[in-house]
Amino acid sequence: MAITPRMKGLVDVERGQISREIFVNEDIYREEQERIFARAWLFVGHESQIPNPGDYVASCMGEESVILCRDGQAGIHVFLNSCRHRGMKVCRYDEGNTQIFTCPYHGWSYATDGRLVGVPMFKESYDGRLDRSRWGLVEVAQLTNYKGTIWATWEPSAPPFLEALGDMKLHLDTVLDSRDGREGGSEVIGGVQKWIMPCNWKFAAENFAGDAYHNISHRSVDIVGIGPSGRGRRDTDERAFATRIGASFPALGHGAISFLQAEDAPYTASYRDSPIVEAYFKHCDEERRRRMGAGARLLGLVGTVFPNMSYLARQPRSIAVWHPRGALRTEAWRWFLVDRDAPSEVKDVLRHYAMRYSGPGGLTEQDDMENWNYASVASRGTIARRHPYNYEMGLGTRSADHGLPGVITDGVAEQNQRGFYQRWAELMEACS
Amino acid sequence: MLLSRIVNVRVLAPGTQVTLADGSRAEIVSNPADGIWVFARYLTSPADTSREGTEELIFAPDIVEVLGDEPRGGIRHA
Repeated sequence: MAITPRMKGLVDVERGQISREIFVNEDIYREEQERIFARAWLFVGHESQIPNPGDYVASCMGEESVILCRDGQAGIHVFLNSCRHRGMKVCRYDEGNTQIFTCPYHGWSYATDGRLVGVPMFKESYDGRLDRSRWGLVEVAQLTNYKGTIWATWEPSAPPFLEALGDMKLHLDTVLDSRDGREGGSEVIGGVQKWIMPCNWKFAAENFAGDAYHNISHRSVDIVGIGPSGRGRRDTDERAFATRIGASFPALGHGAISFLQAEDAPYTASYRDSPIVEAYFKHCDEERRRRMGAGARLLGLVGTVFPNMSYLARQPRSIAVWHPRGALRTEAWRWFLVDRDAPSEVKDVLRHYAMRYSGPGGLTEQDDMENWNYASVASRGTIARRHPYNYEMGLGTRSADHGLPGVITDGVAEQNQRGFYQRWAELMEACS
Repeated sequence: MLLSRIVNVRVLAPGTQVTLADGSRAEIVSNPADGIWVFARYLTSPADTSREGTEELIFAPDIVEVLGDEPRGGIRHA
């Protein structure tokens, strides 16, 4: 039976109230897999993870295990990681290079372009009649490489990626473009960090979509001095010369918090312990202003591309995906990005900053997880479920313009979260 | 066919020649090391001479003998 959140009063963005059911109810969770994750564009990985023909990484799209790989002609593919014969995973490694993906169960084997190329006993037992061309790996319906990031959807009729991204592009570019303003140019540094959290995936997605209210949670990491130079606040001094804005795209579900710098904002040094790194970022800042002009005033902070890809646009610069694993279970993956052509000293300093900031061992990420985990536990009881969460902040107020697209709010508000759930509810209500 | 003999195809290096169950001889071209398949070129194929010179995926159980030096530790006897 289809679940219709609005009809049941689960999501009321006009009043700023959202039922706890959507965070704890297993039936709603199952419905999400069909209505959201089987349809939406999902982040799969980064091209720098598979630079050569035959390279592959195992990834996920919602609950589905997928393979992101390059074929022999360097074309990029995303396949369902499941043999067409009996469903066994054909790739059980996190990453590698291969000529073929072989199912260990009965031995069906697939080329890196997905073709079924090896069928044991093809002549003896199939009498040579199996139409191998019909039984290749299941491939995504659409795939795109956007500035090195690979996105895919199972839905053939989904709008093209850039249409689905809409004006969120402006904010997503702040993480994907080079620090000196050139388009693209990022690469993944180190491996992908992966861990399990006992909470609903939407807690993380909405947090990164625009929760500027929870800074108090991170006060302890600022006290211990997690900052870029190993002391002080985790964020940089750029914020002192900028306006914090929320950008919500309710029709698409995306949300971002970015900074809009004053026109005469000076460059502020952040990496004061490392002359090489500081010189690099100062140079990048100058180049970025020269290349982008007024556009350089927009500095990304955090955002969520609906449904489950989030980013940190400043340092440490990273992408996270919140893979759904159950109403109260999420598998978090985080990729750290650097400019591909940055000096090795810069990459190394950023790698260290990333490790103490994000991921399962990162101090800031631990703060967030603690909140989401205990909120989940405290929301699943019979009594708790009767009481909705409050999303009223900034309802009807705090709207701004700044010449930016989307629903823009100044300062701290919860418009971005309301926009996220508005889209969520629309998709959950939509006919299959 | 040597039913008591199992070839560990994972360790067969390119250039290694093998005998197949149908009497063909083939040379390993590349090895994905999955323990199930190898890419090989037919050198002789009495049952189907049109295959000679062609490359195919060869299923591990179809390889019954390694010609020349056996790879170290690569073959065990059932």
